[in-house]
Amino acid sequence: MILRAAFVAAAAAGGAGIVLYALAWALVPAAGAEERARPVRRAADWRVAAGVALLALSGLLGLRELGVWFTDALVWPVVLATAGGALIWRQSAASGRGRTVAPHESSSAEAREDRRGRLPQLALGGTGAVPALRGRALGRTFTGVALVIAAGLAFLFLNGALGAVRDVVLGAIAVAVVLAVILAPWWWRLLSRLSEERAERIRSQERAEVAAHLHDSVLQTLALVQRRSHDPREVAGLARRQERELRTWLSGRPPARPSERVAAALEATAAEVEEAHRITVETVLVGDAPLDERGETVVAAAREALVNAAKFAGRDAPVSLYAELGDERMQVFVRDRGPGFDLSAVPADRRGVRDSIVGRMERRGGRAVIHAGETGSTGTEVELLFERRNGR
Amino acid sequence: MTADRLDITSLVAGVVVIALGALLLLDRVGAVDIGFGALAPALVGTVGAILLASGLSRGAEQR
Repeated sequence: MILRAAFVAAAAAGGAGIVLYALAWALVPAAGAEERARPVRRAADWRVAAGVALLALSGLLGLRELGVWFTDALVWPVVLATAGGALIWRQSAASGRGRTVAPHESSSAEAREDRRGRLPQLALGGTGAVPALRGRALGRTFTGVALVIAAGLAFLFLNGALGAVRDVVLGAIAVAVVLAVILAPWWWRLLSRLSEERAERIRSQERAEVAAHLHDSVLQTLALVQRRSHDPREVAGLARRQERELRTWLSGRPPARPSERVAAALEATAAEVEEAHRITVETVLVGDAPLDERGETVVAAAREALVNAAKFAGRDAPVSLYAELGDERMQVFVRDRGPGFDLSAVPADRRGVRDSIVGRMERRGGRAVIHAGETGSTGTEVELLFERRNGR
Repeated sequence: MTADRLDITSLVAGVVVIALGALLLLDRVGAVDIGFGALAPALVGTVGAILLASGLSRGAEQR
């Protein structure tokens, strides 16, 4: 109320109060009125700010033209200081609101604000702040500070009081330049040393990381190999598992996500069957696809085919798993070099191939073909295929 | 934009530009004498009003 009375008095005295009130209305949020402030904040993009500023400028120029005016030396610095003060005040109020947000909520709330492209409720230096939002908040604060400083300088300049200040500033600049010239070599050396230390620290961290990984994987596996050297099959399984892990680590690929991607799920399935049945599965995977219903189906059918191969092809015969995966088409082959079999001769009560492979694929719109016991060939090949047709 | 929906930005822009044109016409026919000192606030105010209307209408759409 006091502020409004002061603005009315200023408006009666020279008209500038109207413009200052308009600027403050546009830039300063209402205190303690979160719900009312939200729509204003949403609407207060740069167009509103620029529009209010131009209208205020228009009003000031009009008043000046009409002669309802103090002096340029007073009004323009006051206008600048009001705009800068309003910006700083607004940011300060936003910081106060930001501190009231619980730590576990702040990050997600700010991210939501950022996604919607709205002005943030951001605390300067807040712990979970999104960098872009923090930069915007800092920019607003610095703009406000610069406007207030410019207002002070303009006031001093227009009232002829800047002469003495100018001498002081020139003296300070000269001292700063002299100090910079004297201290530059030490400063430069310090920066170089810091950079070298940083590089050395990074190298040392990388060495420690590699050492830790080797200890956790290769050294542990070698210890197991020594302990189980009497069982060649177990040793081969350990070696294959370690090889797979090391290759993945060396390739720098992101960690496998068997619950999200078909390729990772097939790899995990092959490893699981290898371990459970003590066989070797040679796995080649080309491409990848998300693990949706079809992906889950093809992985389950491939698992059944691998288990069948492990059971009937013999432990010494290698089993191969080859897959071409894509969003439009998924094709998986499971081959073994066992004796093969005739699907029509399999008793009706044995449902492994019919239900778990062929039926499972057909229920999801896919296809499973068994090539077994054909003339001139040995072994069995199970082909699993999903093709996306007509957007399905 | 649907045909029956009022576009506030276009409305405000039209009104202020018509007002500015009327002012310039009066100056042209000699009814008023407008110098740069009077024209500058009018031009700045026109742009400001259009920007303000645009910003507020966009804010309302986002809500």
